[in-house]
Amino acid sequence: MRHLDAAVMRDLANRDPVAVAWFREHLASPCELCEAFLANHTDPLDGRVDAVLLQLAPAKTVEADASKVVPLRRPAPPRRFAAPPGRYWGWMAGALAASVLLVVLVPLVKGPVQGPAPFQEEGLKGTGRLSLELAVVARGLDGGLRRLDAGADVTKQEVLLVRYHATESGTALLYQQRPGQPPELLGHFPLQAGTHDLEGPEGLAGVSLEADEGPLSLMLVAFTSWEPPSEADALTALGTDAAEDSRPGTVARFDVRVQSGQTSRQP
Amino acid sequence: MGETDAFADEVRRATQGEESAFGELYRRTRPLVARLVAGFGTLDADEVEDVLQESYVRAFRGLPRLKEAGAFTPWLLTIARNRARTKLERRTALRRMEEALADPEPETVPALPPALQVERDIAVVRQLISELPEGEEKKTVQLFYLEGQLSAREIAEQLGVGKSTITMRLERFRGRIKRELLQRVLAGRWD
Repeated sequence: MRHLDAAVMRDLANRDPVAVAWFREHLASPCELCEAFLANHTDPLDGRVDAVLLQLAPAKTVEADASKVVPLRRPAPPRRFAAPPGRYWGWMAGALAASVLLVVLVPLVKGPVQGPAPFQEEGLKGTGRLSLELAVVARGLDGGLRRLDAGADVTKQEVLLVRYHATESGTALLYQQRPGQPPELLGHFPLQAGTHDLEGPEGLAGVSLEADEGPLSLMLVAFTSWEPPSEADALTALGTDAAEDSRPGTVARFDVRVQSGQTSRQP
Repeated sequence: MGETDAFADEVRRATQGEESAFGELYRRTRPLVARLVAGFGTLDADEVEDVLQESYVRAFRGLPRLKEAGAFTPWLLTIARNRARTKLERRTALRRMEEALADPEPETVPALPPALQVERDIAVVRQLISELPEGEEKKTVQLFYLEGQLSAREIAEQLGVGKSTITMRLERFRGRIKRELLQRVLAGRWD
């Protein structure tokens, strides 16, 4: 007595005459083993079976669900700092953890400390600024992650995830900026010493690109725990070319270019 | 219902990238997909929405590979089922992420047969339901598939059983139907 299993399903898909003949007869009667296998097996029959089953009930009016239509191909509403939704955080955290070895921290264009910072390494608080570095990973619609180099091309469908390395804990303000426009605040985040994903109360921070096209800069302005993290100071830090020691906060910046279509995956 | 000409036309337009067609496909298929996902009683409302979103995003991205417009709905439903299962499996950590169920290739999913054939299939399924022994399983199937108003969660509440029990009953019934239809495929009565 044979019952369905993965190997048999392959034989049936290949129209193996012996398998077809046997199971044509065998499946004409109820078989708990085969039905249990089919219930959990993924195969091309699934869609047709579901289509038939789901048409048993009276058709729901299309209008009844019209209010829920989500224009997937249109630019996202102003909820700029929205995607991915909170429900994704858990698995995204896992994905990032899995990809951590792939992520090479990229020093920021405006990273203020380019070399060792002895006073920080000695653990002295309040003596100056922290050292901050950023790395950015793009998460595609399929959930795949790819590390970005500064200036990399990304697509509108991708979501940017930010990872930082800070030498002190504190608070960070994340901004985005388009050419010719002022920086736009995306959120406040706690900053921890060490290497971490940028994370708020709801989980990982993801920056949706659906409404963008062209150059886009992400800027993280970090304040140590003894510095009050004000937006005014953050904007000053972003807008000044003053010497690092004379401006508030520490700025790290990452530039990308948003393309409308697909972009090739980087190795 | 097979795929009507108008619907197939929408699929073709969407395949060519016409934005309005995406919205129309979504509008017309969402009730079916939502019903399918509602059968997974242990998914919460947020997860259900996630599955719906992910399914459409994946289906729309894969549209250029779809050779036969009539295969769109079964293909979309298969994607949605895989997404729902993957969501549950990830939650229970039974699989590693990279082992998530892959979306089916569009060309491997058979198109729906002509409307008349589908009507016959539906009649067969109705007959099978009527032949189920009276009891909780039959009640569950009637509520979910025939009446089509309640989700698995709501049925669980109404019948006073666990959500996973309802999902299991629906899956078991679905396995029975799948066996029946596979037999018909093998007998050359469903292609």
